[in-house]
Amino acid sequence: MEPLLQFAPMQSSVDEGFWHRLSSLKLNKLGIDDSPIHIFGFYAPCSHSQVSNHLTVLSESLPSELSEASLIPEPSRGNRNRCSVPGILYNTNTVESFHALDKQDLLKKEAAKIWDDILTGKAVEDCSVLSRFLVISFADLKKWTFNYWFAFPALMLDPPATVVNLKPASQWFSAAEAESLSAACNEWRSSKSTADVPFFLVTIDQHSCATVRLLKDWEACQGNGNKIFFGFYDPCHLPKNPGWPLRNFLALISVRWNLNSIQFFCYRENRGFADMKLSLVGEALITVPQGWKDTVPSAVGWELNKGRKASRCISLAQSMDPTRLAISAA
Amino acid sequence: MVLSQKLHEAFKGTVERITGPRTVSAFKEKGVLSVSEFVTAGDNLVAKCPTWSWESGEPGKRKPYLPPEKQILITRNVPCLRRAASVEEEYEASGGEVLLDGDDGWLATHGKPKENKSDEDDNLPSMESLEISKKSSIKQIPSYMGAEDDDDIPDMADFDDNSNVIENDPATLQSTYIVAHEPDDDNILRTRTYDVSITYDKYYQTPRVWLTGYDEARMLLQPELVLEDVSQDHARKTVTIEDHPHLPGKHASIHPCRHGAVMKKIIDVLMSRGVEPEVDKYLFLFLKFMASVIPTIEYDYTMDFDLGSSSN
Repeated sequence: MEPLLQFAPMQSSVDEGFWHRLSSLKLNKLGIDDSPIHIFGFYAPCSHSQVSNHLTVLSESLPSELSEASLIPEPSRGNRNRCSVPGILYNTNTVESFHALDKQDLLKKEAAKIWDDILTGKAVEDCSVLSRFLVISFADLKKWTFNYWFAFPALMLDPPATVVNLKPASQWFSAAEAESLSAACNEWRSSKSTADVPFFLVTIDQHSCATVRLLKDWEACQGNGNKIFFGFYDPCHLPKNPGWPLRNFLALISVRWNLNSIQFFCYRENRGFADMKLSLVGEALITVPQGWKDTVPSAVGWELNKGRKASRCISLAQSMDPTRLAISAA
Repeated sequence: MVLSQKLHEAFKGTVERITGPRTVSAFKEKGVLSVSEFVTAGDNLVAKCPTWSWESGEPGKRKPYLPPEKQILITRNVPCLRRAASVEEEYEASGGEVLLDGDDGWLATHGKPKENKSDEDDNLPSMESLEISKKSSIKQIPSYMGAEDDDDIPDMADFDDNSNVIENDPATLQSTYIVAHEPDDDNILRTRTYDVSITYDKYYQTPRVWLTGYDEARMLLQPELVLEDVSQDHARKTVTIEDHPHLPGKHASIHPCRHGAVMKKIIDVLMSRGVEPEVDKYLFLFLKFMASVIPTIEYDYTMDFDLGSSSN
């Protein structure tokens, strides 16, 4: 029996600006309205051999106070260090309602959106919807403290996928293939139209020539004897585990294209350029039973806080509390 | 904040309001940049080191003399695996080599032998008038997560361990939390990450570096703790904690009052070697110089580049 394929969880990172804008939105526009807010998070491929990248939320993740028309922010496209991920924020008015939120249910709702986009094919057209996230928070604007908890919903395969032959891309490919693939990836990452497209296809022909293509080109890649790999921007730096975004990608591949054996490519960079020693290639084996498409699969993904199932808390009184600011400015 | 520092800030703010931005190039003569040269040099940095990007920052803090989408340069999640202070201790204990190249303005990338300290002061961007209080010990500052307001923050553990999060999933990699995969446990605690941003300082007409630090769980560090990652020769002299000109909150910044003079020295050395420096390479030189101040923050700047149009 092959070992299980284990995924390194996504990690969150919250820029101070996010809480500043949330506070002013709450005070100046939302009031006690606590309906969920559409937000965006950003991530990029791992770019250092020793630290993973995170899903980051910034002030731009939130809608602007000035945008009268809608509360849905527009993601900026084309920034290679900011692949946008759609998310939803439940900001409660009291600490009690923060704790009373049904976390399993909220996670399920987001997983259902991902599942729906997989079934309808939307995820093939716009792969940014494959990774979603949700945040629950309670912003205490009297004490300038923020309790929050992130979740990165991942659809579970049952039974879980197993893995064979997971190794650095530099060992999997011939030197010529690796060189051609690096060049193709660097070109993909420097083109404004594809720089922030985090899921893609890689084909390698008989002459070791690699091409990176959009997911919707899947049919066009068939039947010419080329090797096909499913690539994604991997935020994880670990040498033996792929990162979280591969989970929903495997569900998509299994549902859309009925594959049981999937060769995947975890794309990672060093100092902003493709690095085949850090990038991984492996083969995932999937044995989902007939009829699993009929119901939404179970999902997991609440972020742990130092290994514990707990929310996080940050105090920004020092930079937000007007009294303290007045004292330090006196 | 020290009074003299505040007075200086007020003065600087007034001068910035009433004077126009530099438009005439003086980078070879004074080591400073005009606004358009800053944009040119920034474009080149983003092209050669793609972990850097241009950003627009807070809309309310936008500077009219810079293009709206090119207000600041930023690179996020930059690893810092060791504290600069401990690196220097080890370096000096081992009697490390002198990395300083005469008095030409290239600073050591690590610590330097103690005996040289007094006569090298000239090369260190000094800022006596703006000095941060030496009394506060960096060790004692509580983090944002810390115990300062213990009574105010409800104990989440009471709620959370009974929360309705049930996740038993064999496909999730179990780890306390994902950090640098060093075999040595100590490194988990040492791993910090930084968001490093570069702004254009209109008063000094040079770039200016700002640091936002995060601990191993990517929780915001108090700016004072950032001083542990600054070369100790600079920590109390040239690093101030101020409002970021484009982002919310207080951030640590390397004060730019001597940047022009040091850059001028670097440029002079290049010219004496027959290299004609090009202004679009300015930020590479500048970031190499900054690496002497923040030696353990591993941001990108190309080391092996052509410094300019060589005369040969």
